[in-house]
Parts: sequence; C-alpha cells; structure tokens
Amino acid sequence: MDIQQYIESGILEEYALGVLPEADRAEVERIAATYPEIRHELNSIVGGLDTYAEAHSLTPPSGMRERVLAGWQQAIRAEQPAATAPVAPVAEAPYTAPQAAAPVAEPVVRPIGSAPQTPSYEEAPRRGFGWLMAASVALLLSLAGNYILYNRWQNTETALFAAQNDQARFAAAQQASQKQLSSQGRELAVLRDVQFQSVTLAGTPAAPSAKARVLYNPATKAVYVDVHSLPAPPAGKQYQLWALDNGKPVDAGVLAATTAAGDSLQQMKDITSAQAFAMTVEDAGGSASPTLSTMTVLGKML
Amino acid sequence: MPPVSDGEDLLVQRLRDRDEAAMTLFYDRYSAALYGVIMRIVKKEEEAEDVLQEGMVKIWNSFSSYDASKGRLFTWVMNVCRNLAIDRIRSRQYRVGTRTQPLEDSAAVREPASPTFRPEHIGLQEMTKKLSPDQQQVVDMLYFGGYTQSEVADELNLPLGTVKTRARAAIKVLSKLIR
Repeated sequence: MDIQQYIESGILEEYALGVLPEADRAEVERIAATYPEIRHELNSIVGGLDTYAEAHSLTPPSGMRERVLAGWQQAIRAEQPAATAPVAPVAEAPYTAPQAAAPVAEPVVRPIGSAPQTPSYEEAPRRGFGWLMAASVALLLSLAGNYILYNRWQNTETALFAAQNDQARFAAAQQASQKQLSSQGRELAVLRDVQFQSVTLAGTPAAPSAKARVLYNPATKAVYVDVHSLPAPPAGKQYQLWALDNGKPVDAGVLAATTAAGDSLQQMKDITSAQAFAMTVEDAGGSASPTLSTMTVLGKML
Repeated sequence: MPPVSDGEDLLVQRLRDRDEAAMTLFYDRYSAALYGVIMRIVKKEEEAEDVLQEGMVKIWNSFSSYDASKGRLFTWVMNVCRNLAIDRIRSRQYRVGTRTQPLEDSAAVREPASPTFRPEHIGLQEMTKKLSPDQQQVVDMLYFGGYTQSEVADELNLPLGTVKTRARAAIKVLSKLIR
C-alpha cells in the first residue's frame, strides 16, 4: 500500500472531522493501527482539530459545576437504580491527583441517603421552572403584542372600507356632475345657437297658465322643447308635441316626465318644415293623430 | 501519539473502574473546552448546560467503548459532546423549544460561523489568523455545524472538490501549529 498516497487522499482529515461513515472510520482505524506513519499523521491531524476546539474554551458560569455534576449523578442512578442503589459512600474515598493542580476540591458524590436534601438537587427543577416562567412571559408578551396588532389591523381595515366608500361616492358624484355638465353644455349650445328659432307656446283656454317653448333649427331640422309650466298629465297620459306644417299635424314625439316637469330641454323628432307647434295630452306612448280637445299649448313661428 | 503525561491515563483508569468521584475531576479538567465548543454550536447557555450534562452521562455509560489506542480521551469526549450538540440543533425538540424565542436566534443556529466570532480565549484569534476566511468557513461548518462535505458544497455553491481541498488545507494549517 502506498502510504504517502493514502495520506494525501484526504481521508484522514475526513476521519478527524467526523464526516466519514462508520465502515470507513473502522477502516481508517485499522490502517492507522497497521502503519505507524499513518498513525502519526492521523494523530497530528486530530491534534490540530483538538487544539482548534480547545481554543474555543469558555469558562462555564458559576454554579454550573454543582448543577451539572448533581444532574449527571441523578441521571446515572435513574438509569440503573437496581445496580447502583446499594452503593457505598465513595465521597471521602482518598484520591490524590497525580498533579497537585488537580485536587478533588469538593466531591459532590454523596451517600444516597443524604442526596435529596442537598441544595444542588433542587437547582435542576428550579431552572426548569425558570424556563417555564420565561416561556410564559414570552407568550404573554406575544399575546399582548398580537392583541395590539390585531386592533390596529382592525382599525386600519375599517378606515380602509370608509375610504373606499368615500372614493366610490365621489366617483359616482363626479360621474353625475360630468353627465349633467355635458347635457347642460349641449342645452347651452342650443340656446346660444342663432340658427335656432324660439317659438313660444302659450296656454289654451283649457290650461291658461301653461307655458312652453320650442327651439327649432330649420337648417338641421332639430327640435328641442323647453317647458316652463304644464299641468301634470293624468295617470297613463303623456304630453305629445306636434308640428303643424301647412295646417297638417306632424308627430314630433312625446315628452318625458322630467321634461314636462320643466327640468331640462328635450330633443324631439326632426321636423322638416313647420309654421306652428302644439301639445296635446295623449295616451302614454303617443298617438298617430292629435286629440284636439286636449290641446294644452299652441304657438306660431314668427 | 501526543504525549499523555498530564494524568489523562490515570483519569481513564479511574473512569474504567467506575469511580464516580473521578467525574468531578473530569469536569474540572474538560468542562471549559467542552462547554466552549457546545456553546459555539447551540449558542444558548441553558442548552449548552443540558448538552454538557447529557454528554457526561453518555461518556460515563459508554466508557467501555473508549479505546485509548485509537486516540486521546480529549478527542473522544469532545466528539461525544460535539455530536450531541449538533443533534440538539437538528432535533425537532430543539425547534419546539425555541418557538417562542426571537426569530433571529432560531434562524441563526445553522448559519456558518462568522469569522469575527470571538470567545474569551486568546488562542483562537491566533489560530484563525493562520486560516483564510474560506478555509475557516468550511472547517467550521464541518466541525461545528454538523454539515457533510456535500451539504457544505450545496450551501456555499461550490464544487465538492473545492470543499474537500479547503477542509484539508485548513486542517493542515491547524495541525502544523502543534507540530
């Protein structure tokens, strides 16, 4: 076997790091036992890592020595109570360290009978309780934090809904204003247009206070009606506008309820030619020919 | 083998004889080194104390499996405690136990060592000065993090060969320091 090649392969470093599978570990140990040169190399590699580990030394906190030794003793007795129960007091067993630097200063191994009374035994549960307390406090803090965050979240949610509602309301209002603005713009354009002729329709003896106006553009044939005041039509009835062309009535369309109430201008059917306009009360939807007895307003073009 | 002149063989003999008082001696002799490495891995005093105690129980109970011809007692007990600590950070029990802890604690457990980690020991800085940051990162992940070499390669996005080379180079540097 090529010893140098084996050393160079890196398997000894892997062994020292503990990253080898068990079978490979055993093989390394077998080879190291056979070849002193490899054993020597392995020892120096392991020693290097040991020194690195040792360089991380930390002095344990005070009080840990007693806790850990007591805990260790409790654990090994719990694991084999039958075997070690009749143990003889070994605490005072005379032992002198080979070096003076390592005296057994304070043996914690005591006769089993006195064990439960030693203060160090009570440290372990107390430490467990401390853990529990810390966890409980952490949980309470967490709950309080969650409660506050939940409330804030709820408030934010409410505020968000309110803002969204407002936003929707403003959007609707704005849309309505826009619509109104554009219809008023159109009405204004009609009213300001010099091509439109204004025809005043005065009330007939049947409705003396009635008053309306027709705006007629002979060039574009457009007809608008503008109501000042009209008696409310009976249920199921509607006002209908007629153009009179050479004495012959021509249907110009029915008035919407809002138009009859005087809310806004209404564009009617196009009329090719007319000398006068009149309105009658007809069944809803209009009639083919006017019911002259219900004529409410009438006006001639100038 | 490195010289074992400082009473380690006598301690081994007493432990083999099931001398419970020898465990006190064991503690005085090894607790700082073991506790330092365990702390380096689990990062919490309470956890480290638990692991050290558990390690001592395991060392006592399985002492018959220690073979002095294969290596020093120090190496063996260090590996027992190191493996327990690594098991601890990987176990579910640990994660449940840390559920109410701040997030940064639980997330940091498996992170590779920061090169600026500085326990209260003068030797460490001198040792790590000899290692490149890359080498130290790899050796720390392997030795303290419980990573396999392939896991280190995945974690650091390096070819496996590079990880092996760095680990070997790092250990060469460390073992040269004691030759």
